[in-house]
Amino acid sequence: MHRFALLLALLAAACGGEPARPQLKPTDGWARESVASQTSAAAYFTIANNGTGADRLVGVKSEAASHAMLHSTMTQEGAVRMRHLQGGLEIPSKTAVELSPGRTHVMLTGLKAPLRRGEKVKLQLQFERSGRKQAVIKVLDPLSAGRQESR
Amino acid sequence: MIRVIRLLLWLLVLLAGAGLAYLALRPAPETQPPRGMASLGGPFTLVGADGRPFSSARLNGRPYAIFFGFTHCPDVCPTTLARMVRLRNQLGSGAEAFDILFVSVDPARDGPGEVGAYAGLFGSPVIGLTGSQAQIDQVKKQFGIFSQQAPDGAGGYTIDHTATVLLFDKSGKFDSTISPEEQDPAALAKLKRITD
Repeated sequence: MHRFALLLALLAAACGGEPARPQLKPTDGWARESVASQTSAAAYFTIANNGTGADRLVGVKSEAASHAMLHSTMTQEGAVRMRHLQGGLEIPSKTAVELSPGRTHVMLTGLKAPLRRGEKVKLQLQFERSGRKQAVIKVLDPLSAGRQESR
Repeated sequence: MIRVIRLLLWLLVLLAGAGLAYLALRPAPETQPPRGMASLGGPFTLVGADGRPFSSARLNGRPYAIFFGFTHCPDVCPTTLARMVRLRNQLGSGAEAFDILFVSVDPARDGPGEVGAYAGLFGSPVIGLTGSQAQIDQVKKQFGIFSQQAPDGAGGYTIDHTATVLLFDKSGKFDSTISPEEQDPAALAKLKRITD
């Protein structure tokens, strides 16, 4: 079946058929509740790409914070480092890319108000090919390990 | 020629298979404390959320987990503290006798109020501590903690820091560590050991 699909895709490509297109859907957004003294928070979500082409998340904005950036967390010899993902985040076709604790997240800095449990925050995601998409971030109990738990 | 290539390809498949088998079957890496870790810890004085000195003498007779971070840390610190509290809840009996200490490596931004409010997010088992830069430097040295400022990309700074949790038994002796990558069952076994 796989081979057949591949053959079809090759044929389509050879005939100059439909160009490969990404088809993106951000889901399962969440963040932890924060307190007034915290000026930054991390937001996590999943981007499913059901299309045939890859895309790239290149920018994030949010009304909830003065800056929103893609960050990745790396561990080296027991020490963690958080770095701005300057080149954005690749979203290959037919995959779901998950932003999750300790790996990749959107860092919200300059929070305008603490994130309160139960409220929803909107993120404007800018993709290279698909343009703008919105991710809805649900604020969860700080002890939460993720969105799955809240279902 | 084709037969040779085919043979070579099969050899590659075999090698890959052997590699996978090794990865799957090797024993889980035990987080052995590096040399010199046995002397970690010892008495210290910091500042509690109430602004008063917090002496490690208060922990005497109680096992504790200690984690160094900062309240503006959005990802690793809340993830680690939330996990420690969840593990503590899973421990069941004996869990009341074990404290989780959160020590700020960012005393310039984290005063007693900040560490107190932040620790409060995770509930009563987390004790937020800060201190003067000199006190923090001293405690970092005692516990073998690394931290260093780095630009956050938005004009501010973030802090690279050790994210390993250190566990101490009720006599104040260093027991073991819990790393962020470590699976829950292994971490729970260590917590059981220090609370028994």
